[in-house]
Amino acid sequence: MPRSNSPELDLFERGVLVRLTQVDAGYRSGDVLRGIEFEVNRSEVALVTGPAAAGKTTLIHLLRLALQPTAGRAVILGADARRLNMTWRARLKRHIGYVAENPSFIENWSAYENIALPLKLMGRKPAEYAPDVQELVEFVGLNADAGTLASQLSGAQRRRAAIARALAGKPDLILADDPTAGMSPADGKRIVRLLAEMRRVGAAIVITSQDQGLAEVAPTTSWRLERGRLTPVSAVEDAEDYEAT
Amino acid sequence: MRNALAGIERSLFLTLVFAAFAAAMAGLMARAVDRIADAYERSRSDYAVVRVLAPEGPEGLARAETALNNSPYVISAAPMSASRAAALLGQWAGQAVRAEDLPPLRLVEIELAPTTAGLDIHAELVAVLAQNGVTGEVIGASEETAGAGVAHRISVAAGWGAAAFALIMALIVALGARSLAARKRELVTVLTDLGATRGRAAGQVGDEAAIIGLYAGLLGAALAAAASAALLLLAIPGLGLGAMHEVILPIDYAPLIAAPLGCALAAGIGARTAASNFFAQASRLT
Repeated sequence: MPRSNSPELDLFERGVLVRLTQVDAGYRSGDVLRGIEFEVNRSEVALVTGPAAAGKTTLIHLLRLALQPTAGRAVILGADARRLNMTWRARLKRHIGYVAENPSFIENWSAYENIALPLKLMGRKPAEYAPDVQELVEFVGLNADAGTLASQLSGAQRRRAAIARALAGKPDLILADDPTAGMSPADGKRIVRLLAEMRRVGAAIVITSQDQGLAEVAPTTSWRLERGRLTPVSAVEDAEDYEAT
Repeated sequence: MRNALAGIERSLFLTLVFAAFAAAMAGLMARAVDRIADAYERSRSDYAVVRVLAPEGPEGLARAETALNNSPYVISAAPMSASRAAALLGQWAGQAVRAEDLPPLRLVEIELAPTTAGLDIHAELVAVLAQNGVTGEVIGASEETAGAGVAHRISVAAGWGAAAFALIMALIVALGARSLAARKRELVTVLTDLGATRGRAAGQVGDEAAIIGLYAGLLGAALAAAASAALLLLAIPGLGLGAMHEVILPIDYAPLIAAPLGCALAAGIGARTAASNFFAQASRLT
């Protein structure tokens, strides 16, 4: 975690939850992202679109602290990602909600138990977290399937359960990696709306997708990622227009 | 537990049961050897033979027997019969010895009472004989020929052997538990993504493995106890349950308790170590 009065913490307090400056990142085989300049503020929804293999998932891994930049500076939730040790990285991750393209669950647990897991990790007792989990279950529309084992959920239900789990810890930063993949356009839009709703409680949301049309679903800042290069596309749509939708 | 024992975990559980059973049996055997060696040492040091030098003949033997039986250092004393001497000689020589071929014996077998350390019991007995007008010498078990120390060495070797065997079984349990951790990799990945610390994520898997190890160890130890009881029944004809209780309990609690605890510990450590590696891999992609 950043020291008090550090420049990183100062950024966080000013509402800048993510700032990547000239960041390169990748794997042993080589860098996937090059010279990334990216910033996301509190209550902002950033939509990053791009073709397959453009580096969207790598960007998400970088933001969720699973990858370190090989060059440049990544300040995430007020901390310099290159200076975090394993313990602090784990602590910071609790403030990041992550929805993977193919979410992992504890398959022999019910959807409800999986959604409650972040709260259990925080040390909360079942009686304390039950109302919150129930609210999340209703929010993502899983009421009828909350007791179903994760292994028996459909693809769309798993995505919803993953969103509910990602929101359970009331994260400051929500990352969704291609959350609409394999869904009907209607379901995809619904998922993006659900995620975008979290801007109302001050969270920043980063969504990656191949579908550029999602920018019309919610007020977003849009970015285009191609061959590891990220460029801004548009500013935030008028929130009132969004309200109208 | 029901979930933990599904599929492959069931065969892992049986492996752990076998390992705990084998380790407990090795421990029981070592303890049995230790007990037999101890009994042998005690009987060897409690036994001596007095050779009457004077007066000669039956009178000397009778006076020596009376004097020795009255001594506080002696539990019992009796002249060695020719047939007993022949049996002992035959055992020593490896061929039959006829009692009628032996010359008249002037030997008295004695069973010694426990004495305080540092007391020269042989000198005391010679003095007792002298007070009763008998000249004699006490022949104790020879340190070299009667296997003094050998029993102790066998006991120590059995102990170390059992410890080494138990260590190998613990290694097998730990390696088995690593495969259990591999089955729980998904749990570690989920916990890592949610911000669990290494201790929490690895501990969760380690604890589950330790519980399975404890159950397997308890079952293995119970089987070992049953097997050792069966062996005792076969080895000692006419042994009843009450007597078996006397035979087993003073020596055999330790391996039966150590096996489940060791099994739980080894399984917990093995799984925790593996889960810790999975955590590191999930935590930092490269």
